[in-house]
Amino acid sequence: MRFSEADGRKVVSTSTATTIAKVAGFAVDPSTQQVVALHLKKTDGDADTVLWSALTAFGVDAVTVAGPDVFVVAEGETAVLLDKHHSVKGKRVLTEGGDDLGKVEDLEFDAGTGSVTLLITKTEEIAGKRLTGVGSYAVVVRHA
Amino acid sequence: MRAREIMKRPVVTLAGEDIAEIKDIVYAGEAGEVAGFTLNGRGLFAGPLKTALPWSAVHGLGRDAVMVTGEDVLEERTVVVERSARSGAGGDVLGSRVLTDSGTYLGEIVEVILSVGERAEVVGYEIDSSEALGKDGRKVLIPLPDALSVSGEALMVPAAAVEFVTDDLSGFGAAIDAFRARLRENEGSASQAPGQTA
Repeated sequence: MRFSEADGRKVVSTSTATTIAKVAGFAVDPSTQQVVALHLKKTDGDADTVLWSALTAFGVDAVTVAGPDVFVVAEGETAVLLDKHHSVKGKRVLTEGGDDLGKVEDLEFDAGTGSVTLLITKTEEIAGKRLTGVGSYAVVVRHA
Repeated sequence: MRAREIMKRPVVTLAGEDIAEIKDIVYAGEAGEVAGFTLNGRGLFAGPLKTALPWSAVHGLGRDAVMVTGEDVLEERTVVVERSARSGAGGDVLGSRVLTDSGTYLGEIVEVILSVGERAEVVGYEIDSSEALGKDGRKVLIPLPDALSVSGEALMVPAAAVEFVTDDLSGFGAAIDAFRARLRENEGSASQAPGQTA
């Protein structure tokens, strides 16, 4: 599944069957190449983050969670990865050798595991496991 | 790679943070080996930094950035600059005249050409060519031997360098290899020549 498809997707509570939020962003941990948390909008309250591990499922039509109790206020490492300086989409990709591969236009991830499978630029599709850094200046990838 | 292309290139950690940009190249030794780089800050922190980047800490030098493992690899600027050489192939050569050992003036140095691999070193110069080269005064690239004589006045290259002049960087690498192979050949035959004394 691509970030562009998943963005804005409804987050539905399994206990009440109501929409309690929408997906607004993704936190990607470069050390594990995993989506570790989702940033949410339209939540009821300040808690606007849900950890990947707290999801019931990332489904085709909706993200399901047990209820609003699983929403948290991002802190520590997760907060850093979620801030706008660490968003992967739109950022330039540099190889560890210092060559620019273009800007990330989209990402593909495994909806079952949260693994990032592809970084997509205008000219290239880069395997997610090459990801090694997500910083304020660039996304860094290992040599193929 | 032209030395000037490296200037202002960002220094980026493998975590994706830009921590500095290249201010200048620090050269060492007669062959003009790159010992490291002095740095400027980025953005709001523009201006010379007290830290510098030793060549040994460069993880990758690419077209768009100089990559390092982290900010902790930077050293005190004075430590890196101490290794520099004012003379040598990488010293202050811009504007110097290039002379062959047979006494022909080939032109004036306008740019330093580096080869970048495990090490980075000066392998040639871009010169505003003199009439002697028959290139209508165009800029050309001239390969350097492994070692050469440089003074503030002129830079001496073997006369054979003229045969390996190229117009652009594509093919210059091969020209350097061929030129240096020729020089080694000449040395070899010279040492084997009978009756020769040192």
